[in-house]
Amino acid sequence: MSSIVTAERLSKTFQVKVRDPGLRGALRALFRPHYRDVLAVRDVTFGIDPGEIVAFLGPNGAGKTTTLKMLAGLLYPTGGRVEVAGFIPWTGGPAFKRRIALVLGNRQQLVWDLPPEETFLLNRAIYDVGDGDYRERLAELVALLELGDVLQKPVRQLSLGERMKCELVASLLHRPPLLFLDEPTLGLDVTAQDAIRRFLIEYRDRHGATVLLTSHYMQDVTALASRVLMINRGRLLYDGALEALVARIARTKRIELVLGGGDGNRVTAEALAAFGEVKSFHFPNAVLEVRREDAPTMSARLLAALPVADLSIEDPPIEEVIRLAFARGGEEDE
Amino acid sequence: MEQWADETNAANLVMMFRVPTSAFRLLSAFWRLNVAEELQYRANFIASVLGTVFNMATALLTLSLFFHHTTTLGGWDYWEIVVLLGVFNALTGVIEAVLRPGIGQLAGEVRSGELDLVLVKPVDAQGFVSFRQLDIWRLTDIVLGLGLAGYALFRLGHTPSLAQLMAFGLTIAAAAVVVYAIWVVLMSLAFWFVSVENIAVLFDAVYEGARYPVSAYPGALRFLFVYLIPIAWTTTIPASALTGRLRPEIGLAAAAVAGVAFGLARALWRTALRRYAGASG
Repeated sequence: MSSIVTAERLSKTFQVKVRDPGLRGALRALFRPHYRDVLAVRDVTFGIDPGEIVAFLGPNGAGKTTTLKMLAGLLYPTGGRVEVAGFIPWTGGPAFKRRIALVLGNRQQLVWDLPPEETFLLNRAIYDVGDGDYRERLAELVALLELGDVLQKPVRQLSLGERMKCELVASLLHRPPLLFLDEPTLGLDVTAQDAIRRFLIEYRDRHGATVLLTSHYMQDVTALASRVLMINRGRLLYDGALEALVARIARTKRIELVLGGGDGNRVTAEALAAFGEVKSFHFPNAVLEVRREDAPTMSARLLAALPVADLSIEDPPIEEVIRLAFARGGEEDE
Repeated sequence: MEQWADETNAANLVMMFRVPTSAFRLLSAFWRLNVAEELQYRANFIASVLGTVFNMATALLTLSLFFHHTTTLGGWDYWEIVVLLGVFNALTGVIEAVLRPGIGQLAGEVRSGELDLVLVKPVDAQGFVSFRQLDIWRLTDIVLGLGLAGYALFRLGHTPSLAQLMAFGLTIAAAAVVVYAIWVVLMSLAFWFVSVENIAVLFDAVYEGARYPVSAYPGALRFLFVYLIPIAWTTTIPASALTGRLRPEIGLAAAAVAGVAFGLARALWRTALRRYAGASG
């Protein structure tokens, strides 16, 4: 299958005015501004196939949003080549814009004082959606997002989660094959986050849409993305499946134990330390960290030597893996 | 890279001269939305009418103070200037109903990044930000302004001929275009100097100059108002059309000035957008 998004050595440099602190710095910046180049995105290359859900991972200021904006045609690349849905985004014009949707978690297009349906009608006019299509798509989106009676209430009375759902409806009425989502679950409660994740997967399955998202929430990434693009300081550090990233970065596994045995022969922390590093120990629960390749043999030895009621082998928490990966990427960068 | 830029210019040039029929459908969708929004606040209507009546009364009072000491101002007599004042108020209605709530919000949107949501839509961004909002209550200013002009014509004992009315229609449309162009130019500055909300105040200050016929000003100011900040074309010329002072060639010049102002504003807007995307230095 040919890619729907191709980026080749994509780069973006911003000129940022630098000023020294204080009044004197402010005055100097006013009359003799100094500029510094900030390399927001450097030589990023990747391709995305239709129907993929891909997440951009990275700390604040890593270049995720800048990359997304270049793909959406909002920013003009300083270098490299980018093609999205057969268009060069910046020059694609209306034909290109009809093929994408951009949802920004911290901005809204809904008209504040009116029910969301009024904004939907406006977008129907903007995207020239036919009457039948409009009704059918609206019904589908409302059902999938469980919006029901929300449509008639003024936007200002809606919860944050309801508003984000309505933003999604407004952005998908023209049924774009490509979705760019910047922090779509920002600030939402767990239920709303979960609803939006389930919706995105269902929507992709039904319509074959391609989804690119950025998020700070690891659950978004683990639940949604078959593939992650890890960006730090403008560089692409990793491109591939999340599991493979964990296997590469995390050199350890965690053995979680529920210990058995009566009060007489309680297992001690010292006894556990012989098998691996004790991460936590609150009898009867214990967590040991061992080298990845040692995990099977250590489990066998634990089972043989100690009264174990339950045992499971887990990867370390994903947040920790990501932190490790960025730390390592940063070192390579210096 | 350069090739991209050229393609963009060519595409935009085509867009500029082709007003899609869907633009009208879009406008009606926008304004339907605004009417629905504004109808929730009927008190705004009362406040708006009272404000306008008060403003007009103050302006007339100031004018009669002037005319205590003189019988003409820049060659215009009292009721002629009241005609001009009516035109001034009608244009203020256009500014308050369309421009300030629409393109006047641009600076804030550039700063917050909300403009991005406009730029990804398959519509002309300038048209979108300019005409998305209609503050319907302020449209009463147009009615009151034209009413005042009509009353002043009656006091002058002058009934405009059909040709004069048509000239008025042409020149008032040109005036609206000129005022619009000035707003686009001022608001485009937001892309360079992110916080320019206050620039609307600058406009108000300069636009006060349009309350009086341009002939009332000394030479330097007159030059400024005719050629640089062309507010002379916004009130003096349409009022002249109504009172029968307008020479036909000046009417045509007004249309040309509107065309040039619009073209320049459009060019600056495009440059501004390119800067916003980081497409130019």
